[in-house]
Amino acid sequence: MIPGDFQPSRPPGRKLLLFGVMGIVGLAGFVVTALIATFVISSWLGDPVIFGYEEGPDQPIAFPHTVHVQDLGLDCTFCHRNVTKGAAASIPAVALCMTCHVAVGDGLPEVEKLRAYFDPDGDPDTDDGRPIDWVRVHRMPDHVQFVHEAHIKFFSERDGIAASATCSTCHGDVGGMTKVKQVRTLKMGDCVDCHREYSAPTDCSTCHY
Amino acid sequence: MALTRRQFLTLAGGTAAGAIVFQACGIPERELMVQSPVEMPEDLVSGLDNWYATICRQCPTGEGLVVRVMEGRAKKVEGNVDYPINRGKHSVRCEAGLQALYHPDRVRGPLVREGERGSGRFEEISWTDAIGRLTHQLSKLRDQGNQDQMVMVTDPLGAHLGQVVERFVSRYGGQYMPYEAVERTTLRAAVKATFDQDVIPEFDIENANYVLSFGCDFLNTWLSPVRYARGYGHFRQGDDRERGTLVHVDSRFSMTAANADRWLHVRPGMEGVLALSIAQVIIAEGLADSQAARDLTGDGYNLDSFAPENVTEKVGVPAREIREVAIGFAEQRPSVAFGGGSAAAHTNGLFNLVAVYSLNYLVGSVGERGGVLFNPLPALGDVPTAPAAASFADWQRLVAQMQQGRVGALLVRGADPWYGLPDAVGFKDATFNVPLIVSFSGIVDDTTAMADLILPEHSFLEDWGADVPDPGPGYQVVGFQQPAVRPLFEARGMHLGTRGFADVLMTVAQGLEIDLGLPGETFKDVLQDGARQLFEMDRGSVRAPDFKSFWNGLLQRGGWWDVSAKSADKPPPAPRLPKPEEPEFFPQDSAQYPFHLVPFVSTSLGDGRGASLPWLQATPDPITTATWQTWVEINIRTAEAKDIKEGDVIAVSSAYGRIEALAFPHPGMPPDVVSIPMGQGHQAGGRYAEGRGSNPLSILAPSMDGKTGALAWAATRVKIEKTDRWIRLPKFENAVPDLPTDEHQEIIQIATRDS
Repeated sequence: MIPGDFQPSRPPGRKLLLFGVMGIVGLAGFVVTALIATFVISSWLGDPVIFGYEEGPDQPIAFPHTVHVQDLGLDCTFCHRNVTKGAAASIPAVALCMTCHVAVGDGLPEVEKLRAYFDPDGDPDTDDGRPIDWVRVHRMPDHVQFVHEAHIKFFSERDGIAASATCSTCHGDVGGMTKVKQVRTLKMGDCVDCHREYSAPTDCSTCHY
Repeated sequence: MALTRRQFLTLAGGTAAGAIVFQACGIPERELMVQSPVEMPEDLVSGLDNWYATICRQCPTGEGLVVRVMEGRAKKVEGNVDYPINRGKHSVRCEAGLQALYHPDRVRGPLVREGERGSGRFEEISWTDAIGRLTHQLSKLRDQGNQDQMVMVTDPLGAHLGQVVERFVSRYGGQYMPYEAVERTTLRAAVKATFDQDVIPEFDIENANYVLSFGCDFLNTWLSPVRYARGYGHFRQGDDRERGTLVHVDSRFSMTAANADRWLHVRPGMEGVLALSIAQVIIAEGLADSQAARDLTGDGYNLDSFAPENVTEKVGVPAREIREVAIGFAEQRPSVAFGGGSAAAHTNGLFNLVAVYSLNYLVGSVGERGGVLFNPLPALGDVPTAPAAASFADWQRLVAQMQQGRVGALLVRGADPWYGLPDAVGFKDATFNVPLIVSFSGIVDDTTAMADLILPEHSFLEDWGADVPDPGPGYQVVGFQQPAVRPLFEARGMHLGTRGFADVLMTVAQGLEIDLGLPGETFKDVLQDGARQLFEMDRGSVRAPDFKSFWNGLLQRGGWWDVSAKSADKPPPAPRLPKPEEPEFFPQDSAQYPFHLVPFVSTSLGDGRGASLPWLQATPDPITTATWQTWVEINIRTAEAKDIKEGDVIAVSSAYGRIEALAFPHPGMPPDVVSIPMGQGHQAGGRYAEGRGSNPLSILAPSMDGKTGALAWAATRVKIEKTDRWIRLPKFENAVPDLPTDEHQEIIQIATRDS
């Protein structure tokens, strides 16, 4: 080192520590920003990407559609009773599950959970059942009106098939899912594409009313 | 860092504001979950409502409706805001359409008579069996060479259904008898004679300044009351105009008379003479359009003998009033005159109406805004408006045929001639000579009770259809009726339940190997073919790039119309005014039968077709506020002289029959007139109609207009007698006392100074 040469002043230890911390925080910030950006951009274009959530959410009871649909062969409309009649497909009441599970499924932990919802104290005479708060998987924003009945009627009449054979058009093979997951984006573009394809009305007021 | 008090408050405020603002960004928690209730009643209403546009079939007008449907059940009807006939308004008759759908006495499947005819005992059979029986009977009749002995009776059916029925009857070779209890035959003839038009024109009440109506209760029941009442609202209270003047000429104090600025209570049957007198004043005062005045009084027709002073005695209206009305009518243009209802229901009905409609020429209102606007011909050539109903004279001929055993099969749909034809015609007895009576009614009405075979049709909320309104709104309209709900009895399976009338006819035609030449196998195909023609025209309210979108648009809006497709007809030269004809009354003897009987169409029950529905039964009459009963309106002085009080059971007898009704003394009735509402007095018709009240149509004299053959239903004279019974008249007005009757319950007490 030549005396008199320009010497950058050695940063004091405190400042170095600060740079180090700032670097780590900045990196973490960048990762978070990137994750958020991935989430926002992917939600804009299609299904939101949230790492670790490829499967669909955990539910209060791990209800296996596979067992009920594939193994037992129940119709979708057996439980989702309102789907051919009204707007909402409707989630079955606990009492409906219990028509079978009062006898079926002894010893299975998830069935015990179900029974605990229906009759927590084990005394059938008391009226103390609790509703199950499922995590919603398919959700339309408030400004969209979607009526299941009309869609099911259309597809089942067009193809001459049962109502329950039309569900997979939008919901995918729910019968093969252990955890229910959204398979189509169900965004406006998705709706409109399909409406165009089948010459359904595309007036704004068809869905936004 | 020193934090001042001011900074602290700013930060705290900002944080609070931010917290409140960003609170709204999230999705509420309840939206992110979906709950399984513990118990779910089967009939719990969930989900959203759907609204379907369709056409009301409760009365001949055919208002456009939207029906609220939840879970596949119709819950409420409202007026269709888009539909040109009613533009968002609807009548009590439409409202009660739901009860026609859910009526507890609806026929739930095909029935065949079991006991004696009219015994009311029926046995349920399958549709295959029922259609087979009808086909077999009709083919037997045809094999005997007696096709013309098949008589089809329906309400006047227009549009596609009319087309199907007309083809079925004509290709089979039978007779078609459209039936209306209160027929428009005379009105149609008058419109033809005065304006040379085949469809009833539009009366532009909305833009008129002076409306002169003769005998027609147009705010209540006449032709298209919802549309007229809507126009009337604008006529009286429109923001952009002055209040119009309404003068109503009627021999009864009707709802329109009650709304009028001036009610001229004319002697029954003298409406035409009054109109000529008005014409005389307008011409004599020099207020008439000179060309029209010359045309109307051509060939030296001198009107001077009709000067108000000369006819005042005869028509029963003071000369001063005739003069004032005539001058007002001529000066407050645009003005419009129209007539119908009781003015047409006399032996000189055609004269009355022609004289009335001719007044429009004098004030230059024909084909002008605020006057009489001609309606164009229907948009689709082969889809007509409803045909003219068979006149009363035709019915008398049919009864004669029936008596001679020359009617082999009577097919009845949407009509109740057993109830509506006067007893004096002898229809009731003559039906026993008809070997086969088939009814398509969904309710066992009086005619259906006599049927051998009942093939119940859908309620209008379950069926397809179309309507070409007559009178139209001044431009071309084709309304479409779609099933708002699935048939109520669908769950009974394909062999029971109800079926659409047109589809049944098409099936029977197949069985008879008649080619109806219709585009398709079902009635829906026929309608879609009509829609395709409209689609190809590519004009009007619904246009689309492809047929499928067009069909959707058509059903969403409830129909198709083209506001620019108006009639191209120029007003014809005014025809000469008719020579007066005197009305005749039956019986002639005014000493024994001192009162004119002027029946009127009930606001809610119409000519009787609404009687089966309790909502309509419970709808108060606008003048008397009476419900659920038949009453007779009598002048209050006449009633006093005969010691008649409200609710006394009065026997009203003509030379042709006798009915009983509750007295309703009323200051608005002319002294020599009594009025009875139509609609009650059914022998069948379900639990709400059966055996209730009495039917003024049954005691009418079988007299008719000399030229058109239409029933002169206001030309009967009657006498009234008090019986010794009294029944409280069920009415809204004065049903509860307006002050407390307990004398110790003062509302206000005035203390004297001493106390």
